This record gives sequence, C-alpha cells and structure tokens, in this order.
Amino acid sequence: MSDSSLKIAIAEPSVIIRSGLSVALKRVQGIHIQTFEIASYDLLANYIRLHKPDVLILNPSFWGMANLPKIKEDSGHNTLKCFALLSGMVDESILKFYDEKISLYDTVEQLKEKLDKLFETSTEGNKDETNTLSLREKEILTCVVKGQTNKEIAQTLFLSTHTVITHRRNIARKLEIHSTAGLTIYAIVNKLIELDEIKKDM
Amino acid sequence: MSQHHKFTARTRMSDLINEDASLLSSISRFGISLGFGDKTVKEACEANNIDSNTFLAVVNFLSEGNVEINETYNNISIETVISYLKNAHTYFLDYKLPSIRTKLIDAVESSGQLSYKVVFMKFFDEYFDEVRKHMDYEDKTVFPYVIQLLDGKLHHKYRIAIFEEHHSDVDSKLAELKNILVKYYPAQGTNYMLNDVLFDLLSCEKDIASHNQVEDFFFVPVIEAIEHKLSEKS
Repeated sequence: MSDSSLKIAIAEPSVIIRSGLSVALKRVQGIHIQTFEIASYDLLANYIRLHKPDVLILNPSFWGMANLPKIKEDSGHNTLKCFALLSGMVDESILKFYDEKISLYDTVEQLKEKLDKLFETSTEGNKDETNTLSLREKEILTCVVKGQTNKEIAQTLFLSTHTVITHRRNIARKLEIHSTAGLTIYAIVNKLIELDEIKKDM
Repeated sequence: MSQHHKFTARTRMSDLINEDASLLSSISRFGISLGFGDKTVKEACEANNIDSNTFLAVVNFLSEGNVEINETYNNISIETVISYLKNAHTYFLDYKLPSIRTKLIDAVESSGQLSYKVVFMKFFDEYFDEVRKHMDYEDKTVFPYVIQLLDGKLHHKYRIAIFEEHHSDVDSKLAELKNILVKYYPAQGTNYMLNDVLFDLLSCEKDIASHNQVEDFFFVPVIEAIEHKLSEKS
C-alpha cells in the first residue's frame, strides 16, 4: 500500500529531540507521515481531542504522570496508539499503558518496524502484486463508469453484490483512483470505453 | 509571543522573501503588495494597516515547516486572520483553480482526443465544486460566527469544533488527478503543456494544504480559547 499515511503527535519538551524525531519519522519508507510537535503538556489533551492523531509519542520521564487512559477517554479517541519515548531508565509500571517503546538510539528501520507492527502498513507481501487490472476487473470498471449500481453490475455479470464490491475495492487500490469521475478518465484514456457509451452522464 | 522565531518585526520584507519564496502568496493575502524597498515587516504592515503581530505569527507558522503546538496566540487580531483566510479563498476560487482549469483544457485538447476534454473537465469541475462548497461554508457560516463571538456573543449551539469535524480533506481529489496524469496519461512527445499543469497542480496542492493548516492549528485553537472564556463567564 503506497498510500498509507499516519498522523503522529510528538509530545516532548526538548525542541532538539522533538524536531529530530520528526525528521527521522519523515524518512520512514512506505508510509506518508505527518508530524505534529507538542511542546507543553497543557496543550496535549486539547490537541488530541481536536485533531485525533493516529499515534502519540510521549516522553514518560518528563510527563510521567500523564494519565494515558484519561487522555484517551477525555478526548473520545480510544484507538490512539501511544509510544513511550525513552531517554533513560524508566519504571516498567509506567510503561504498561503504552503500546510500544522508542529509544533515542532507534534507527529509522526500527521506527518503521514498530509502526508496521501496529498498523500493518508493511508493503512486504503485496509488493509483487501488479497494478494491472484483470479482465474481470476491467469489465466491472466499464460498468461502474457507465453509471451502473453494484446490484445492476452483479446482475449483468452474474456475480454476487458482495463480489462486485470486493472487485471495486481492488480496482481502487490498484489504480489509486477512488472517485467515479477519476475512473472514467482511466477508462477513456485506456480505451476501455467510448465516450458515446457514457455520454448521458457527461 | 515569548518564543523564539525566525522572522521578527525588524526583518526586512525583501529578506523574508529571499529566505522563503513560498511566503509571497501569504504576503499578498495580507494585502501587502510588492515593491517594499527596504521596509521592515513592521513598516510594511503599518503602511498597509495590518497588525504586524498577526502577520509574523502566520509567516513564522508557515515557514517553520513543522507544525508545532506550543503557544496560544493571544495577541493576534482575529479580524486580520479572517481577512487573510478570505483573501486566500478568493485567490483559489477566482484565480488559481480557473487558471489551472484553462491550462488543463489546453493540454488535453492538444492530445487531439475530444473525449479526453469531456472526462477531464467533468473530474475537475466536480473537484472545483467541492472546494467551493467548503470555502463558501467558511465564508458564510464560520467567519460570521466568529465575528459574533468577538462581540462577546456565544451561539447557543454552534461551536468551532463542528467546523473542525466537517473540515473534509479537499486536497485528496487533487492528488488523485495528479496521480492519473502521472501514471495513466498516454505518453505523447514532450508534453510541455501537461508538465506545466502538473507543476501547477502540485504547488496548488501544497498551497491548499498549508492554508488548511493555518485554519486547523492557528485559527481554530484561538477561537476555541475565546469560546471557553465566554462559556465560563455565562
């Protein structure tokens, strides 16, 4: 998946560590990472409530009293993943609320592994998959572009609606095009369909 | 603002642009035109009746690249920010997007395929409509709400957080168009015109994204703080 993206908030008082980690995260391959730096604990809860990041990286030795369960509950953001940013020894009991730990000496590869583990963003496995559409997918794409509903496509091609939906999802993933208008362009420039076949919607 | 920032009131306007050319569009959205000679930020702002604190807060926020949430901007002029955001809307809707549209038409027409023009225009116009809807909502609902707020009137129901939730990602569709052109457009010769459109799309995508960041990380938190103060009073 080349379009996986993550919003990561870094809560750490040191500007050097904060910005350094932010730069390192942007070097992680295969994930588009947007970072947000939070310099003071007071602004943290409000930020999470408003912007709902995917990951919060927090330095427990500075804000050890940070009540993670409460932060998650107050912000209504229970799926938030929390990483502890460790610069030294920390009492293990503090770490039980964290999903993962990052050390100041982690490499970019290690950061990537840790993110992949939690978000299944790994590109291994589907790397070999070609982005060309199968014959069936092309048929379905043509129907979609003609403006047929999933139910109509299922009837025309003798498939279940469920199968049609799966195919459509695969088409969008392979082409990285999600809108019907975008798929229409794809179908026209690749000569899968002629303009007069879809003219009525244009 | 106690924090240390790159640009100060004594920075010369010309140095500011040399340092970060992308600030050009921000400067014009504040209503400051080129030809500032040796004027400093403070002088240029005063000459144009613009609150220089607000100007500095916005350009520093934009040029530092990293989104850093570390201060509450309590001495900025909300009116100035609103006029800045409105000017940006006008720029996108009345100038930038129509200009990209024209270039896109020229580029696909040069392919000699009539059908291309039809499908690309449909795509682009749908996108344009989405952006317009989004920006109209801000102009007609959000900003008037904020102006009421500045008069000390707290709406009984509406809150800026509602806007934040509805703040859909208008830039994802632009990325899709970019993707279609890069990956699927049939290769023909040198494609100068098409490359030109692509450059425009890319810079517009960035511009809209940073515009949205000013709204999300700069404008909204200040408004929330005002809401909070007012609701404590009542």
